[in-house]
Order: sequence, then C-alpha cells, then structure tokens
Amino acid sequence: MNSPESAEPERGSEYEENLELLRQIDFFSGFPLEPLKIFAYLGARQRFRAGEALFEQGEEDATAFLLVAGRLRLERESGGRTRTIRFFEAGAFIGGLSLLGDCRRLYTLRAEETSVCLALEREKFSRALEQFPGQMPRLFQTVVDAIVGWEENFLEKMAEDCGGCIPRLGVSLL
Amino acid sequence: MPKPRPPIVKRSLASWIFEGNLPWQALLLAVIGVFVVTRVLPLEMQKRIVNEAIGRREVDLLFAYGTTYLAAVLLSSACKYGIQLIETLIAQRTLARMRRALLEHVLRLPVGFFRENQPGSVVNAVVNELAVPSNFVGAALSTPVANLFTLLSFAGYLLWLNPLLAVVSLAIYPVAMAVLPLLQRGANRANQKRVDLSRTFSGRIAESFNGIHEIHGHAAFGLEQRRFEELIERLRKVRIVWSLFRYGVKSANNFFTSLGPFIVFLLGGWLAIRGELELGALVAFLSAQEKLYDPWKELIEFYQVYQEGKVTYRRTMEFFDVESPVEVAPLDRPPLRLEGSLQVRGLDFLTESGIRLLQDIQLALRPGEHLALVGFSGSGKSTLALCLAQLHAVEEGRIFLGGHDIARLTKQDIAANVGLVSQHPFLFEGTLRDNLLYACRALAAPQPSLDDIIAVLHQTGLFADVLRFGLNAPFDPERHGAIAPSLIRVRRKFQEKFGARFAEVVEFYDAAAYLEYSSIAENLLFGTACRTEFAPPRLAANDGVIDFLVREALLHRLVNVGIRLARQTVDILGNLPPERLFFAQSPMTAEELPVFRRTLEQLRRRSPEQLSREDTLRLLELALRFTPGTHKMLELGDELRARLLAARLRLRREIERDLPGAVAFYDPEAPIPAQPILKNIVFGNTLPARPRIQEQILQIVVQLLIEKDLLEAIVEIGMEADVGTQGDKLSGGQRQKLAIARVLLKSPRILILDEATSALDNRSQTRIQNLLETRWKGRSTVVAVVHRLDIIEPYDRIAVMKAGKIVEIGTFAELMARKGALYELAGKR
Repeated sequence: MNSPESAEPERGSEYEENLELLRQIDFFSGFPLEPLKIFAYLGARQRFRAGEALFEQGEEDATAFLLVAGRLRLERESGGRTRTIRFFEAGAFIGGLSLLGDCRRLYTLRAEETSVCLALEREKFSRALEQFPGQMPRLFQTVVDAIVGWEENFLEKMAEDCGGCIPRLGVSLL
Repeated sequence: MPKPRPPIVKRSLASWIFEGNLPWQALLLAVIGVFVVTRVLPLEMQKRIVNEAIGRREVDLLFAYGTTYLAAVLLSSACKYGIQLIETLIAQRTLARMRRALLEHVLRLPVGFFRENQPGSVVNAVVNELAVPSNFVGAALSTPVANLFTLLSFAGYLLWLNPLLAVVSLAIYPVAMAVLPLLQRGANRANQKRVDLSRTFSGRIAESFNGIHEIHGHAAFGLEQRRFEELIERLRKVRIVWSLFRYGVKSANNFFTSLGPFIVFLLGGWLAIRGELELGALVAFLSAQEKLYDPWKELIEFYQVYQEGKVTYRRTMEFFDVESPVEVAPLDRPPLRLEGSLQVRGLDFLTESGIRLLQDIQLALRPGEHLALVGFSGSGKSTLALCLAQLHAVEEGRIFLGGHDIARLTKQDIAANVGLVSQHPFLFEGTLRDNLLYACRALAAPQPSLDDIIAVLHQTGLFADVLRFGLNAPFDPERHGAIAPSLIRVRRKFQEKFGARFAEVVEFYDAAAYLEYSSIAENLLFGTACRTEFAPPRLAANDGVIDFLVREALLHRLVNVGIRLARQTVDILGNLPPERLFFAQSPMTAEELPVFRRTLEQLRRRSPEQLSREDTLRLLELALRFTPGTHKMLELGDELRARLLAARLRLRREIERDLPGAVAFYDPEAPIPAQPILKNIVFGNTLPARPRIQEQILQIVVQLLIEKDLLEAIVEIGMEADVGTQGDKLSGGQRQKLAIARVLLKSPRILILDEATSALDNRSQTRIQNLLETRWKGRSTVVAVVHRLDIIEPYDRIAVMKAGKIVEIGTFAELMARKGALYELAGKR
C-alpha cells in the first residue's frame, strides 16, 4: 500500500483560509504569524441572511467582523430616521476597537445580501494576545496610526466642507 | 408534658450502655452464663481423663469424658460467636444513635459556632471519633462480666485443686493491676492530644478544599502543604507516643502473665517430686492457669478500650458543648402564625471581640410595609437583617415580630413566618426541585402544587431557565417514555412549519447527507449507542468496527486524517496554556497534546504503517472525533465524505443483522435516547455561534410545546436537573433566583432580602422589584438590604445606615429633599 498521506486532496481548510484573510488586514499587519494562527483558529465563520443585523446601534458587544463574502450596510438611526452611512465589501474588517475594550455600537451593521463573516470575540482575542505580551505596543501603534491617519485625511480633504464641525475636531489629540 | 432529654453533650458515656439496649444486654448476660460454664468444664474433663480414664484404663470413661469435652468446646465457640454478634449489634446501634443525637445537636448550634470552627472538625467528630466510644458501649457489660466470671471460676477451680499453688500464682495479678494503669494514663494523655489534633487536621483539610479556587488562583500549593506539614508532624509524634504507651500496657501484661507458668513449674514440680501433688492435678493446674491468660488479656484490652472511649467521648462532647440561645421548636404548641409588624428597640450588636456593629437601632414597620436598608458597606445593613431573621442572637435591645419578642420565639416560629434570602444563597446537592421545595418541606406544612411552583418560577424569572434545563435533559426512554408520542408530534410540526426557515441554521438528520456538525463517528453510526462499545469514545476500541473500517478501506484513510489533525493542532495549540477557551474548538484535549506530539516525532522517522497499534488506534480515535463544523483546522474532502456516507448504510445493515438493538439509529418517527430533548424535537444539529437564531428556535419550540400541551412535562423534567455541589451547575443569577423562589413558595409574612438580587441582570432585577411592588406590597412586610440606589424609590421607607446607626429614615422623596445622607450616598453632592 502507498503511503496513505498522498491520497488526500489539497483543498485548504477553513483555518488556512482564515489565516490568509487575516494576513491581509491592516489591523493585524504588525503581527507575526504565531498569534495570527491562533486568531484564525479561534475566529468563527458566521452566515447572515439579507436584512439580518450583525450588531445594532446602542448594543454593547465585543466582536470584530471580517467580511469574507457578501455586502454589509452600516446604518445610523437618529430622530426616528435611519440613514445609510456606507457599505462594506468583501475583505473589510469592522469593529477592531471592540477587541480592545468595551464600546457601545454607534451604528447598526446589517447584511445587504447573504454574507459570511469571520467573527472574532474579544475574550478569545485578548486571551490569545496574552500569550504574546510583546505584541501589544504594535497593536496600539496600529490604532494610533489609524486615528491620526483618519483625521489628517479629513483635515486635508474635507475640513473645508464640514462647516460648523471644525471646533469639534481633534480626536487624534485624545 | 414530656420531660426534655438532656442534650447529648451532657450525657455520660455510661448512660448509653443500657438505654435502648436493655433486651440485648439481658440476652448477652444469659449467653455469657452458658459460656462461662462451657469454659470451665473442659478443665475438669481433662483432669478426669488423666486421673480416672487413663489411670484406671477405662475406655468407656475416656469416650464419655472426651465427648463431654468436645460438646463443651463446641458450645463455647458458638457462645463466643453469639457474644461477639450481640456486642457488635449493640455497638452499631449505639453508634447510629450517637451520630443521630450529635448531628441533631450540632445542626441546632448557633450560627456563630460554625464561623469559629471548621466544618471538617465536625465531620471528623461525627464520622470517626464516635466509633471507639460506641465499641466500648457494645462490650461494656459483656466483656467484664464474662471475663471476670471466667477468671473467678478458674481462680476458684485452682484454689480447689491446690490452694498454695493457686495463691502463689494468682499473686501476680494484683501487681499487674497496680502497674498497668500508670502506663494507661500516659496513653490517655496522648490520645487526648490525638483527638484534638485529628479534629484540627480534618478542619484544615476541609478548609483547603473549600478554598481550592484561591489555592489554584495563587498557586499556593507549597504554602498549603507547609500548613499541613506541621500538623502531620505533630500528629505523627503524638500517635507514636500513644502507641508506645498502648503497646507498653500490652507488653507489661504479657510479661506478668508469663511469670505464672514459671511459678507453677517451680512450686508444682517440687510438690510433685515430693509426692504431695498428683501428676493429673499438675496438668490440670497448668492448663487452667494458662487459661487464666485469655480472660485477663481481654479484661486488659477492654480496660484500654474503655479508657480510649472515655477520652474520645469526653473530648468530642466538650467540643460541642455550646448552648443554643433559642429553642428549635415549641414543645407545647404549634408554630405561631405572626402578623407582619416589626419593631426594633434600642438594638445593639457587638462581635465577640467587642466591635460594635449596630448601635441603638430603632425601627417600626406596619404589616405589609416595605423598607429598604441602604448605606456604605460595613454600615451594618446585613448584620441588622440577620438579627431580624434571628440568625444573630440579640443581646442588647429587643426585636418584636408581630408583637412577639424574637428572643422568645423558637426557630420554627421564625421559619413559619420569616423568609430570608441571603446574598450568597446556599444550594444543596440534589435536583432543582429539592432546592425549590427546601423551605416548604422543612415546615412540614401542605406542599405547594405544581401550579404554585410554576407561578413562582414565572414570577422570579426562573421559568425560562428551568425550561431550558428540561430541553437540555437527555431523553430517557424509561423515565420520559410517556411523552415520546407528543414529542414526535412536536418534531413533525417543527419540520413542517419551520424546517425550510431554519434550513440554513439547523443541520437536520438526513440519512443521505453528511453531517458537518457531527463527528465522523456519529456520521458513521447515524444514531445513538445503546451498548457502550458503540459509544463514540469507545468506537476506536471496538474490534468489529475496526474490521468493518478495514473492509471498507477506510482505516488508513482515517488514521491519515488523525495524523493531519494532530499535526495542525500541535502546530496551532502546542505552545498555549491548557485552557478550555483554546481547546474548545480542537478534537484533542490539552492532556492528550504531549502524547500526540510524541507520535508525530516518531512519524518523522517512520511511516504510518510502522506505528504501534496503540498509536494507530489513538490517531483513529482522534479522527473519529473530527467534526468539520467545529474543528476548522482540516478540510475532509468531498470524496472521503461520500465514502463515509456509503459506509454508514453498510454499517447499519451489519449492526442490525449481527447486534440488533446495539444502536438506536436516527429515525424521524422515533425518539433518540440519551440526546437532549431539544435535539429530539429539532432532529438535527443547531449551528453554533448564532445566539439570536437559537433564541428564535427556542421560542418556536416553546410555542409548539404549549400547543401540544407538553410544556409542563418539560418543566417538570427541568426541575429534576441536578444543581451540582453547592449549585455549581447554575449561574450566580440562577442561584439567586432559585433562592428567592424557594422563599416565596412558603409565602412568608415577613421577607428579609439581603442584597438578594445583586447577581441578577437589570431585567431580572426589575422583574423581582415589580413582583415585590405588585404582589407583595401590603401583603408581606419586606426589609431589603439594597446596594443599588436606582431601585429603592418605590419602597415605603428607606433607612440609611452609617457606622452601625440609622442616620435617617423616610420616603425616597423626603430624604432626597432633605439633602442628607441618602442624597450624599446617591452621589448628588
């Protein structure tokens, strides 16, 4: 008999696919392979039907989502009116901040069509990260870069149009 | 009026000898009478055989005396056996009665006693230490009587044979009686220390077990070990000293009794040589003297048991000799039915060390009034609540419940009228139902009906939990057989009406489909094992199944899956701590990981075929656990799925042919034994990580259960759920809800809640609050120690406590307007 290993197919497992997807996300870009493997292993694929909410405005949940397939809509309700803020396409990573600490959802995230997400919960994320204490500063740097980058971009391109919002700027000075 | 019996701790050890044992002791004496005669008789026969039968050469006499000798020996053995039997019976009856009486006494001791003493010491006293005194009681009459009589008979016989020889050889015993007690006194002192140390030791062990979370949390293993070390060492020393003295008594005794024959040989030999003693008489004397040794030895042993029993008994009883400040139950009347008024006058409470926890508390509540006790922690709220529930004895000041002084009310009066829910309620090992009915059963009043129980479950918000327990309970054909037909109807309805809607989130059991959320073992069997060798964990050890896998050419394929799984898992989890969080999505447990790591190392040098059978089967077992939906580290491949699916059918045929009934195959028209009831209804795997969908499914199932009139049956099954040790299978919130339900079921006139809702989420807390306002206001008086200030507004009155005093009392509006202590507490200032 041949070595039995040769008989198996070469198709990648869900874990391997997850790992590949995570490596392409900015939020995780600073991480070496070892912690990413654990995130890929601990993350769970979830399937949402069109119209189903991943999370709702005002909720406190502690999950980040990586959109694997499909399309998601971000909404905000105020004064009884629901406004669509933006759409997310496959490859988007949403809710990384909720992996770092409690944060109330300011938006509702809804599946625009049947969508598959890789969901990572804070408890799992932080327990896994504890195994790699040296990675925390890199993660903070990523978050700092994102906030400063966003504000810089806003100041350069959109500050002129936003009128009364100028005095409220300065989130990067937090 | 019956005369109250003295408490067990005041009873002497001797009082147990006759009480309740009189007929047995009398029987024992009768048997002993016969026994003594049968022991002396052979001596006389010996003498006659030598002197008369052998001396006169008469064979008839030899036979006659020989037969009498044999009969006496036989009867003596039977009597001895009977005596031991009756002694054991008396000892065990006494032990049971002592335990019962001691437990009865200990349970009623004031709560403070248990704070000061470790539970382990009580366990040791009741379980171990009472055995020695009860053994003494068993032998207390028989041993001295039987042995003294035997001893005296032998002594008399010896005197009759030869007075001079007898007096000389018996002179040893008074000497022994003077020396032995000296040694025994040393043994007693050591034994006393041993009893105390054993109690401390047991207490310490129990304490460590209770605090095992702290020990593990702080990795305080060495610290604990050192705490034990000192005790073990002291116990070792004291036990050695004790044994030295005990064996000293025995050895000294042996020495004295061995001197006997020496004297007889010396003196008897001299007399025989001079012709003053017959040879037969010397033989009889010698053997009679030897026989003195047995009863004497037993008397000495009994003396030791008596001394040990006395010391152990006295030490144990002294330990528990604490008086309870209140009676347990009224002797001359049924428990009082109090009206719900409550008055506290000038109440002070001091701890043993003199710290004043309450000072001059004045309070008056009308029946049905609700009072919230608030204040900073350490202000005395809980102490006051416990005083009101009679758990702390009132020493200064008075408390009146329904106009009766609480110090004069018995425990039963309080239990019948007052319900206390503490912050950390205790649950007993057993079912949910046992714990729910605990308070009602204790009262021995009419028990609540199922409707009453269900109503309380709804009120406290426990209904959904109990229902869930019921739905998660495994279906047991023997116990739940009656609901099987309805269950199948609910299953059918669920399939018809909701099957399509949940097709994406439920993997229905379909004989023609590979189940992604079932293991390979479950996929092969497609059923539940009715014989243990087919249970999934045992499948890899089932030779029949292995044969089958070989015939299907699946064995190597599966071992290969095992190798790939082991490789991936060790790669991902190999350096992580052995925590559930990390291993929950792995087919391998943390304990198994090093074993598989070793197997993988071997595979670097060898081919899979060269592995040992043990390693191969372990890899097969790992593969059989593989569940694609849960264990994402491997892709099984469509071709292998198809082959497993084809094998499923053939395996079923083989099992049905060779071992019918060994597996209950999934059948849409039959219940699945040992699988949760919910799974029996859904008839499939609910996909994980979708709490909202699972909630929806649950609601639909509940609706269907109501339609088919099955809800109560499931709730009843849920009430049979085991709560675990101290309720550890329930969440903190569930424990509190259960504790509240347990008290509400007995409808107390006065309800004392000591932060009873602190572990509940906001919704459950609001539910209990609404319940108090709508159903209990005006009906029952409520005193609630409350930590969260946002729920106190509806209370009739609020008492704010500070440093053991009530600093202000009034309605919420009044106190807030006054801008005093409550205002400050609420953080408004």
